[in-house]
Amino acid sequence: MNNIKDIFTVAKFTMRDMINRKSFRISTIIILILIIVGFNVPNLLQQFASPNTDTILFVDRDDIFAGNLNTLKTNSELDYQAEISYDDDETIKQKIENDEINSAFVIEKTNSQPKIRYIVKNAATVSAPQAIIDQLNSLYSTTQLSKLGLSEKQLATLTPNFDFTIEQTESEVIGGNISVMMILSCVLFFAIYFCAFQVSSSITVEKTSKIIETLVTSTNPRSIILGKTIGIGLVGLGQMLLFVIVAIFSACTFLDSELLNAMLDLSNFTPYLAIITIVYFILGYFVYALAYAVTGATVSKPEDIQSANTPVVILTIVGFYLAYFTLMNPTGDLNIAASLLPISSPFCMPLRVMMGVASVWEVRTSIIILIVTCIVVAQIAIKIYSTAILNYGNQRGIRNLFKMYKEK
Amino acid sequence: MSGLVLKDVSKSFAGKLVVDRISFTLEKPGVYGLLGTNGAGKTTTIRMLLGIITKDSGEITWNGNPVDRKIVNFGYLPEERGVYPKIKIIDQLLYFAELKGIDKTSALASAQKWAKRLKVEEYLNLPAEKLSKGNQQKIQFLTAIIHNPDLVVLDEPFSGLDPVNTEILKSIIIDLVRDGKYIIMSAHQMPTIEEFCSDILIMSRGKTVLQGNLREIKAHYPANRVHIDTNQDITKYLKNFEIENAHDFKYIIKLKNESSAHELLQKLVADKVNIEKFEIMKPTLNDIFIEKVGA
Repeated sequence: MNNIKDIFTVAKFTMRDMINRKSFRISTIIILILIIVGFNVPNLLQQFASPNTDTILFVDRDDIFAGNLNTLKTNSELDYQAEISYDDDETIKQKIENDEINSAFVIEKTNSQPKIRYIVKNAATVSAPQAIIDQLNSLYSTTQLSKLGLSEKQLATLTPNFDFTIEQTESEVIGGNISVMMILSCVLFFAIYFCAFQVSSSITVEKTSKIIETLVTSTNPRSIILGKTIGIGLVGLGQMLLFVIVAIFSACTFLDSELLNAMLDLSNFTPYLAIITIVYFILGYFVYALAYAVTGATVSKPEDIQSANTPVVILTIVGFYLAYFTLMNPTGDLNIAASLLPISSPFCMPLRVMMGVASVWEVRTSIIILIVTCIVVAQIAIKIYSTAILNYGNQRGIRNLFKMYKEK
Repeated sequence: MSGLVLKDVSKSFAGKLVVDRISFTLEKPGVYGLLGTNGAGKTTTIRMLLGIITKDSGEITWNGNPVDRKIVNFGYLPEERGVYPKIKIIDQLLYFAELKGIDKTSALASAQKWAKRLKVEEYLNLPAEKLSKGNQQKIQFLTAIIHNPDLVVLDEPFSGLDPVNTEILKSIIIDLVRDGKYIIMSAHQMPTIEEFCSDILIMSRGKTVLQGNLREIKAHYPANRVHIDTNQDITKYLKNFEIENAHDFKYIIKLKNESSAHELLQKLVADKVNIEKFEIMKPTLNDIFIEKVGA
């Protein structure tokens, strides 16, 4: 009972310490500002972008379109302004040089064959406007067909208007939007990595400032390590939720609804996925945080913390990339293995759940493996921490860690 | 048996014996001196009795029960001073008091009482990094006693303190003993140990080299020096003695036996030398310590 009370006392103190840190507050505010600004970028770009005033001149020298080019002038869906004239090439070039128009399409017949010339100021800076060429081709077909005197019904049957669908041979339906998955994957990785890293640095601060001597006589190492991990984890989870809430609020407030739907398909983001994401964040964080606690305890000087953490950092990055790259083939065996492996499952399984490819037994097995890993890592971490925290000097290396684990 | 008892306590690290069958007893409130050179095994002994590390063998009991954090209310001032640099002093004090099982109201009252006594009350709302080293040390002392412990372990409590603060700390230690506290003090300043401790244990390379009542220990040692203050040069009388220190007609000479001191005094009196002080001195704890562990 006392142990649990001490764990929460340490957790409470650690949370207060973290929240009161100037660096934590400033970085949180900066990230929140970046999120809000990020979701305003499309609006800002629209504000600063000049309205699309590209004026394109269409010259139908041989009346190939039988006056149908005028429909371009009245078509409001086009992203340019169409002008129709019969200017000669010299006048057209003059108009382009004087910036009266941006470019010109000259349609004429050469040896009875219709031909399009596209005139621009500098050909090196533009590519063929395929969309306009397609429009002209379509318009030409319509013009020619109308000359045949066909009824509207007959015309309609000649105009292709295919209903397009995709079907797959595999039974599993893969859902989710790639941008949402990328964001979720990166958020999980950075949240777990940075929070876990904080545990290591917090333990190193206590050791190098010598406060640890007083602390270990006030409570046991188990309460210290678990309290610290819980405290930093709760602050990290709170920070992550704050970022997600502000991101969702910003997206809904600042983004155009069409753009929002195009960019982020949130239809797969169900409450079940939210719970799974939080569960994997907590378990993944615990595994890595406890590993970082061990490296933090073995450091005698603050400047050694980076090098001491390197093995765990490598493990974290390997876990992340294993999840990330195998997600290209989410139904493959490698991705299933990555979703079960404790170093990669926190970055992998929530995405498989989002895609709808993770079966219930896979999720359950993965969570059980992660919980067992947490317990094993916690036991090892507490044992090594208890010995390492009061010893100074070089204690790194697997052999030294093993010695410390064996020590009574 | 009441109080603290250590019986044949040993500890090895990686096959090296660092504490070898140490035994001592604190039967009644008072200050017990734990002495030794650097690396003698004092800190390991202290850590074992505080339950930070487990002993390999032996017994450590408090009022007849095996020592455990749950049954003994410890206070500890470690030799390695440490505070959370960025956290307010009062928050640190309340944190440690809460870990020791004290409720916030009592902890706050105790913190204020001791802070006033230690003359650090104006620093309670400052982060520790803003305090001088001496004041940080006083805060650490306060951390060790804020929860009214029964057993207090003080490792080098006066090192780094100025004379004024040393006196403040001394007066508090005297009061703690009056209040029935058991104190174990480890220090390198022998006069401090002589001032506070009735019983001592000297360790060297993990073993006990001397232990017992300080007065009895000293009684076993014959007088070994004479301190003479005069107003003239008496060097010619000291040819058969080793002069340890001589300045301003003040002499400290080493004795081979006490009777030679009496003979010297008789000679000086016979020659009508003006003697202001003639003191035959017993060895100091410092002498005993050097003799036992210095070789």
